[in-house]
Amino acid sequence: MMLKVDNLEVEIEGVQVLRGISFTLESGKTTVLIGRNGAGKTTTLRAIMGLLPVVSGTVSLAGDALLDKPAFARAPLGIGYAPEDRRLIAEFSVRENILLPALALNMAPAERKRRLDETYALIPQLETLDARPGGSVSGGQGKMVALGRALMVADRVLLLDEPFQGLAPALALDYARALKRLKAEKRDIAYMITESSPDLLSSVADETLTIERGMVSGGTVEAI
Amino acid sequence: MLDMALPLIMDALANAALIFFVAVGLTLVFSVQRILNVAHGSFYSIGAYIAASMGLWLISAGLNPWLSFPALLLSAALVAMVLGPLVERTLIRWTYGRHEAIQILVTFGLFLILEDLQRLVFGVRSIYQDTPMALLGVSEIGGIFYLNYQLLLIVLALAVLFGMRFLIKHTRLGRLLVAVVADREVSLAMGINTDRAFVLAFTLGVFLAALGGALATPTTGVAPGLGAETMVLAFAVAAIGGLGQIEGAAVASIIVAGAKVLAVYYAPAFDTVAPFLVMLAVLLVRPNGLFGTATTRKI
Ligand SMILES: Nc1ncnc2c1ncn2[C@@H]1O[C@H](COP(=O)(O)OP(=O)(O)O)[C@@H](O)[C@H]1O
Ligand SMILES: [Mg+2]
Repeated sequence: MMLKVDNLEVEIEGVQVLRGISFTLESGKTTVLIGRNGAGKTTTLRAIMGLLPVVSGTVSLAGDALLDKPAFARAPLGIGYAPEDRRLIAEFSVRENILLPALALNMAPAERKRRLDETYALIPQLETLDARPGGSVSGGQGKMVALGRALMVADRVLLLDEPFQGLAPALALDYARALKRLKAEKRDIAYMITESSPDLLSSVADETLTIERGMVSGGTVEAI
Repeated sequence: MLDMALPLIMDALANAALIFFVAVGLTLVFSVQRILNVAHGSFYSIGAYIAASMGLWLISAGLNPWLSFPALLLSAALVAMVLGPLVERTLIRWTYGRHEAIQILVTFGLFLILEDLQRLVFGVRSIYQDTPMALLGVSEIGGIFYLNYQLLLIVLALAVLFGMRFLIKHTRLGRLLVAVVADREVSLAMGINTDRAFVLAFTLGVFLAALGGALATPTTGVAPGLGAETMVLAFAVAAIGGLGQIEGAAVASIIVAGAKVLAVYYAPAFDTVAPFLVMLAVLLVRPNGLFGTATTRKI
């Protein structure tokens, strides 16, 4: 058991967005969170990342309470996060974007290089983008870069918010292949991937959860 | 003609250097924290008071007068280390993300508090302490005399300009600041302690302003009102250069100081309004300043 979300409630501007959701992400397993636009997928991931205030409930990583810690303490704990809108730093090159968590955590140069090489091996498309400014890549390429950036620290948990949304078919295929390689190589990570339609991820999902108006149901694959 | 113009140019550049120290800190804090600190000029005058007092003490204690140079730097460092974290953690932090009107009210309140504190501690007299300028003396080139201290100010301002560029482009702290400026939430998610980045940026801004004040004492002395006077000049520079633009601040400092010095030479009655007349002229043509655009927010 890795990351446990228990009875999480979140309000945004006085409106209840998450109504007591609970689930567990296991290492080596991929949990897919399916829900329509506005169901609360992004809010769930941002709450886990400590990026918005929580009304009640707990989030723990291997028994360690996360919500008491500042948001920047997630990355050093091995939690990687790729936001749905990519959020690359436009002034940075693609490589510098990928290396941002390494810079933030002040990783030793050898460690930094090892992780970068590993990331480029898993997502070869990134190496060709390497020197491009972060502001110049396409939306789909940006999703790849955001995945690479999250991988720099994701030793235990990887949270991907709608990675396939808006991806051209060829890029979606590349992304899916990268995910497969990742799952095969990094068996200790607990994965959570959100998506608005169930079809794309049925092949990678070990568990599928459904979120609707801030409430999670399901728990097994046949939920949808 | 030339022997008239050169001293004017030197005066303008030396003045520009002093304004630049304040404006670059103002612009740095605006970029990183997204707040316009109305009290920023007070750090300049506090730096000036501390430096002048320390200089007077050095002389009265009979110490080597050349120590007054490191004393200038030390004063600025002291002001920054004490006031930077203290002010940021107690007051400024509270204004992040709030409405601009609140930010201006809070920092204006801070300005009033700091002004009163200065009166309380240093009194209402002016203090002159020009040992560093006297020590450096003058040099003569082609029959024209220059204050070497003015040259020092210009060199130091250039060092700050290039130092800031280097910091932003090539140091870990600088790159982290660029990330925080661009996207605070992603910076947090990637592991950047943005609170610490804010304290460091603010303290650096205080240091630069206090350094400007400390360096100004040998040329102008310190008197009550210096903080307010400096603040409005720094705001004129920020408006002309475009907020958040370091090179813009450098060019705008020269424009503002040039206008002021020209007025002092040729139309002394206008010396206080001249910088603002130039500012209005610039803003009429380019409302976001010479180097600013409506959307850029850079450091
Ligand atoms: N910044 C915000 N301000 C107001 N409402 C928000 C904000 N962010 C999200 N919401 C609301 O929270 C609900 C869940 O949003 P979100 O988590 O983004 O859904 P999803 O990612 O599943 O599309 C939506 O009803 C949305 O309108
Ligand atoms: Mg979403």
